[in-house]
Amino acid sequence: MFTVIKTGLETSVQDFPGRIGFRDQGFPPSGPMDSWSFRLANRLVGNEVGCAALECQYIGPTLAFEQDAVIAITGANMTPKIDGLAIPMWTSIFIKAGQELSLIFAKVGVRSYIAIAGGINSQPWLGSQSTFHKAGVGGIEGRALQKGQHIDWRSVELNNTLINRAVKSEALPDINNDKAISINVVYGPNEGWLDEAGKAKFLTEPWKLSSKSDRTGFRLEGPTLTFTDKAHNKSPEHGSEPSNIIDQGYPVGGINLAGETPIILVNDGPSMGGFINPFTVPGCEFWKLAQAKPGSQLYFKEITVQQAQRLGREQTEACNDDKITNQ
Amino acid sequence: MIYDKPRFTPGGDRYILIEFGSEMNLTLNFMGQALAKLLEENNQAGIIESAPCFASMLIHYDPDVIGYDNAVIYLTELISELGPSDDIVLDSRLFYIPAVYLDPWTKEAIDDYRLKINNDKVHDPDYVTQLNGLENVEQLARVHSGTEYWVASLGFWPGLPFMMPLDPRCKLTAPKYNPPRTWTPKGAIGMGGASTAIYPEVLPGGYQIFGRTPVPIWDTSKRFDVFENSICLFQPGDRVKFVPCDMDAFEYYEQQVKDGSYVYNLIEYQKFSVKNHNDWVSNLDVNRRF
Repeated sequence: MFTVIKTGLETSVQDFPGRIGFRDQGFPPSGPMDSWSFRLANRLVGNEVGCAALECQYIGPTLAFEQDAVIAITGANMTPKIDGLAIPMWTSIFIKAGQELSLIFAKVGVRSYIAIAGGINSQPWLGSQSTFHKAGVGGIEGRALQKGQHIDWRSVELNNTLINRAVKSEALPDINNDKAISINVVYGPNEGWLDEAGKAKFLTEPWKLSSKSDRTGFRLEGPTLTFTDKAHNKSPEHGSEPSNIIDQGYPVGGINLAGETPIILVNDGPSMGGFINPFTVPGCEFWKLAQAKPGSQLYFKEITVQQAQRLGREQTEACNDDKITNQ
Repeated sequence: MIYDKPRFTPGGDRYILIEFGSEMNLTLNFMGQALAKLLEENNQAGIIESAPCFASMLIHYDPDVIGYDNAVIYLTELISELGPSDDIVLDSRLFYIPAVYLDPWTKEAIDDYRLKINNDKVHDPDYVTQLNGLENVEQLARVHSGTEYWVASLGFWPGLPFMMPLDPRCKLTAPKYNPPRTWTPKGAIGMGGASTAIYPEVLPGGYQIFGRTPVPIWDTSKRFDVFENSICLFQPGDRVKFVPCDMDAFEYYEQQVKDGSYVYNLIEYQKFSVKNHNDWVSNLDVNRRF
């Protein structure tokens, strides 16, 4: 068990791939936004990659451990310390009963992950432990961690082979503070609604990541896009604005033109609606979104479905056990 | 229009959108529902889940098990096996949902939007009234509540029903907000395109709003019997009839919801026949409004 001393900004239990199979009732998958770092954190402590662990956003928590545990911290650098002494990230570490783990603000990146050998023990909700904050379900009492909460993990035999495991450098995501971030996107499902100039503009101009971004959507500020005839001349059932379409299912990662503001629909985003999604950010690129600070300039680059799927497979392979070394 | 062949487009690395046509009608919704059922029965490796809507359907697949091209081939074959929807007769529950039209709560949300986001936004009931050539907002309330709605899909938020009017004399259309509202009252009733929805919670939104119900349409704590099998009140194939009520009735129901004594008003024995419906519609004078 550990006790939450400080909550951080919004620290929540997530598992991977999250709440799958309920999209026809309107549920988003939730789950970790940077699933690359998340999976590696679990690997480091000997868990299955999807095991429930903590996602910390912007400012991490302080947790008092009441039992011995093996933990690993990945993702954004929130200067993790045990009892005030700095500890390495991307490495499995033994923490003794009575010690305190503390994270502060993210120095590099935005989202940090804390995995515990055995995995967080909480009641699954619709098949997943992932927290869906806005709906108040999953995780611990449907919310981010609260001060004073006692949280359990599944007990697992701790031994020396679990400690000092590190990620090989070739398997690490390159999380940095670069202002300009290149994000791969795939055309579709509604790319036919933007004209050539509109598509070209989207793929060449910088898009500023708005501070009004969260786990439901990443808002982008940038140029005004232009549309094809199809978007202007259509039956009134679509709605008369050019970005209006008869309500349809949204892919996770869809770049949704809600009015004229593009919003990337991320882990807790809406499942359906009446605006077009001309492009979609594939799953392999989500870690970049997760670690991008508001104000960053995003540049979008088109890749094919097959390229996106290959990148996804490479990322899965980067999270395999053979990418972990015992130091 | 209904497309000769369904159109497939990718949504990133794990999704496919299938479009059956570019209009809202029951036939297209039935194609989606029937395909969803078939997919569930077939349990094809790599097809994870589906979400049908009015005229389209989203497929979630695992590219490590089935590639995009093979998924499209498989789905195309499955669609060709679908029978004609005219023969379909299915169980359809009818929900009576009390609603205050032209209520103060949606007005407050619209005023807030006008103040903070777009001062030129015409109040939603006035806007929809004008666009649809109605006499006044009172007629909007009459026309909007004059039909049963078909629950075509759930989405956007858990339990939010996307609905279409079954009586073409009550069909209204409207654009969606630009930019969207940042908040909408819980229980707000609104429409965009030709679709009507009820907002299950305080949520951002793009529909024009002009009514509100006190009745919860999703309930994670399952306080009422109707949520025993699902936390969402509706399922596709249900029908909804809005029952206009005044503020006193609203408060009465609201109190009943609060103390747990509210009884959901639904009818469960009816069957919906697409053929009967189509026959009925074909004999209506759709230009006569209520």
